[in-house]
Amino acid sequence: MSAPAVPDERVAAVSPVRRLLVRPELGALIGAVVVFVFFALLSSTFRSADGVANWLDPASTLGIMAVAVALLMIGGEFDLSAGVLTGTTGLAVTILATRFGLNVWLAVLLSLVLALAVGLANGYVVTRTKLPSFIVTLGMFLVLQGLNLGVTKLLTGNVLVGGLVGRSGFDSAHLVFASSVVLGGTYFKVSIVWWLVLTVLATLVLLRTRFGNWVFAVGGDANAARKVGVPATRTSMALFATTATAAWLVGTITALRNTSAQADAGVGDELTFIVAAVIGGCLLTGGFGSAVGASLGALIFGMTSVGIVYAGWDADWYKLFLGAMLLLAVFANQFVRRYAERRRRS
Amino acid sequence: MRTRGFPPPDTDPAGAGALLSVDGLVKQFPGVRALDGVTLSVRPGEVHCLLGQNGAGKSTLIKVLSGAHTPDAGMIRWRGRPVAFPTPLAALRAGLATIYQELDLVDGLTVAENVFLGHERSRFGFSLRTKGNAEAAALLRRLGHPDIAPGRPLGTLPAAGRQIVSMARALSYDARLIVMDEPSAVLDAGEVDTLFRVVRQLTADGVAVVYISHRLDEIRQIGDRVTVLKDGRTVAAGLPARTTTTAELVRLMTGRTVEYAFGERAGPARRRELLRVNGLGRAGEFADVSFTVHSGEIVGLAGLVGSGRTEIVETVYGARRPTTGTVTVDGRRLRPGSVRAAVRAGLGLCPEERKSQGLFGEDPVYRNVSVASLARYATAGFVAPARELAAAARALTDLDVRPGDPRRPVRTLSGGNQQKVVLARWLVRGCRLLVLDEPTRGVDVGARTELYRLIRRLAADGVGVLLVSSEIPEVLGLADRVLVVADGRVVHEAPAADLTEADVLDLVLAERDTSGWQRANQGHSAVVPHDRSEEPT
Repeated sequence: MSAPAVPDERVAAVSPVRRLLVRPELGALIGAVVVFVFFALLSSTFRSADGVANWLDPASTLGIMAVAVALLMIGGEFDLSAGVLTGTTGLAVTILATRFGLNVWLAVLLSLVLALAVGLANGYVVTRTKLPSFIVTLGMFLVLQGLNLGVTKLLTGNVLVGGLVGRSGFDSAHLVFASSVVLGGTYFKVSIVWWLVLTVLATLVLLRTRFGNWVFAVGGDANAARKVGVPATRTSMALFATTATAAWLVGTITALRNTSAQADAGVGDELTFIVAAVIGGCLLTGGFGSAVGASLGALIFGMTSVGIVYAGWDADWYKLFLGAMLLLAVFANQFVRRYAERRRRS
Repeated sequence: MRTRGFPPPDTDPAGAGALLSVDGLVKQFPGVRALDGVTLSVRPGEVHCLLGQNGAGKSTLIKVLSGAHTPDAGMIRWRGRPVAFPTPLAALRAGLATIYQELDLVDGLTVAENVFLGHERSRFGFSLRTKGNAEAAALLRRLGHPDIAPGRPLGTLPAAGRQIVSMARALSYDARLIVMDEPSAVLDAGEVDTLFRVVRQLTADGVAVVYISHRLDEIRQIGDRVTVLKDGRTVAAGLPARTTTTAELVRLMTGRTVEYAFGERAGPARRRELLRVNGLGRAGEFADVSFTVHSGEIVGLAGLVGSGRTEIVETVYGARRPTTGTVTVDGRRLRPGSVRAAVRAGLGLCPEERKSQGLFGEDPVYRNVSVASLARYATAGFVAPARELAAAARALTDLDVRPGDPRRPVRTLSGGNQQKVVLARWLVRGCRLLVLDEPTRGVDVGARTELYRLIRRLAADGVGVLLVSSEIPEVLGLADRVLVVADGRVVHEAPAADLTEADVLDLVLAERDTSGWQRANQGHSAVVPHDRSEEPT
């Protein structure tokens, strides 16, 4: 039996074009371009600087969450409590500053402690019991939803807590979390900066650090990762803490921006985060995805929500549009995965 | 007990100079003494083969060696010092790596990232990608595979390439001993050659390899010494791999003398034509396949992995839709691409991947038996479990499935007994044509003989059998008529009695030479679909 001595072409390097094709964020990039061109053609306001600033704003708060949720999903877990936690943290800041008279910065700090406690609790229960994070965080979601309403009403007798303006530390906190940056005469929300910084940071962590490697490994095959010494439990805990921190950031931004917080804030958003991450190329099964993709997914959401209004349509069509985007994105992802699998079997 | 005192031809006393020496190893599980006095001595730079039937204790032994299990008694010496590895990672760090059939690799990471997973080349938490890639490339070069790019996503590598990556990982921990658990089971002939080249490369560097395989010919090709396990004990240690006869090895493994025991050939009792396949083809897979199977006849498809055998039988069974040709059962054409139609016409398939395609692992045995004929045990759409259970129990007794408890989860059965459960499923249904794809894969020698007898008996009862196997002696011994498949075509058809193993190998390899290296061709066409036009249709 004379086996060929030539290098086996099946194990040769992959061409750059094909490498681009299997990038997770490719679908979201195309989607974002299509959505932009679509609304830009329909409305001149949409493509003006003010318009851009306008749709970058909802994209930014969503994007902060989508990036964190994408990291978690690449690590193979879900967090359904992330949406309502943005409400919880916002309420915590507002209530602590107004009803307990704390300095706003101290309230923000305590709110972060609370968020981390929730995130680590999620992580602990998931890693300890090996129950699906879907169920565990669904439980946490309901717990927080109940707490938000119950505690808020108990302390204030109302479902809306306001009066942040004028509290000590409000002005500086507002500057950091909720102000606007003037760029060429246009006001851009500072949350956009937070979003971009986080996206770059998350991408850097994912692709350039040991921890990022662990995230992919734990999401791809936690057992295999554990066997070669990857601290899988710590990695998952850190990821849950990350989504909680992102929820704290968004909750704080929203509370300071509105100078108030609502007891039902954030409910239902958790699915939007997951959808943005999935449009951005995350697989529900973990081990694959990108932070940039999730940001692009959030961008599509932002452009759509604002673009529909600019185009003069009823905002009721928003969800239909997003549903179609989601389906298209998962079809594209499925296609890419099949493609990758076909190549593997060869 | 025979735990010590072997006078193997060339073992040095007390294992001095041995890299790994194991003495009197015992491992007790609830109800089973999996290891009951194992002795093993491995020298640096040798290929030490571990032989034994399923259940002989091979898997437990390597799990104990690798730190996955803790032994209850006995001594493991690693590089001269007694050790007890608390975890697989500790063993790996000490230079003892184990490569299981299920590779511990992550698809989403690159080759280099997989090699260094868990001990990343990094500074202050930041990956040193260039360094990692360079070191991975060096390891792959050392394994004779500079063609695997370190930056390539692992998910795009075929099974053979993944094994190489696993070995590179082992070397990245400076492994002195690599245990390989049936590495050839997922490889085709060409890839096995590559594997052997890599193993020789390793041993030339002084790395020892413990090699586990069911295939005696491989052991002769690659092995230096053989240790045989039976019922958790070492029954022979350090036999010379090349000169110990097959009969002797089989005797040691089974405790009785079994050659290829196929039973008496009933003669080509051609009764009635059952199956006629005419001009069957599928673009890019196989073309122009025609043959017949008569009742009571065993027709074998011989060929290499990737030659199109599995694709052909799955198309006959309706699991794949043919692009050309017809399948006729009892003179009636089957609806193409419909498993339902095939099963209704009396076909049954025992698929190649038993666990993933043939069985519902967590379900009890009886459910796995009755699943193809549930309607029979149902009244108005509701299944009566008592009748289901009774029918299954009869079939299990008939086929001598052990243990015979129909309520056990089927995954707890051994490979041979699982295969019998799949057979029982079709017997209960009253199937007339059985398609057996690699029926003895992962089945030990003793159970194989039983399966052979069973297949023969079915044929004697008038069932037609279409048999696919990579083991040429199996096809020749079992079948009445043999079709040799190479590169998606039937290249030869003859009565089994007129063929020898060498004939079949010649046919298969000759075809491969003239048609180009077909695996490479296939790999190409899967990447660039247009290339399929080059293949005959």
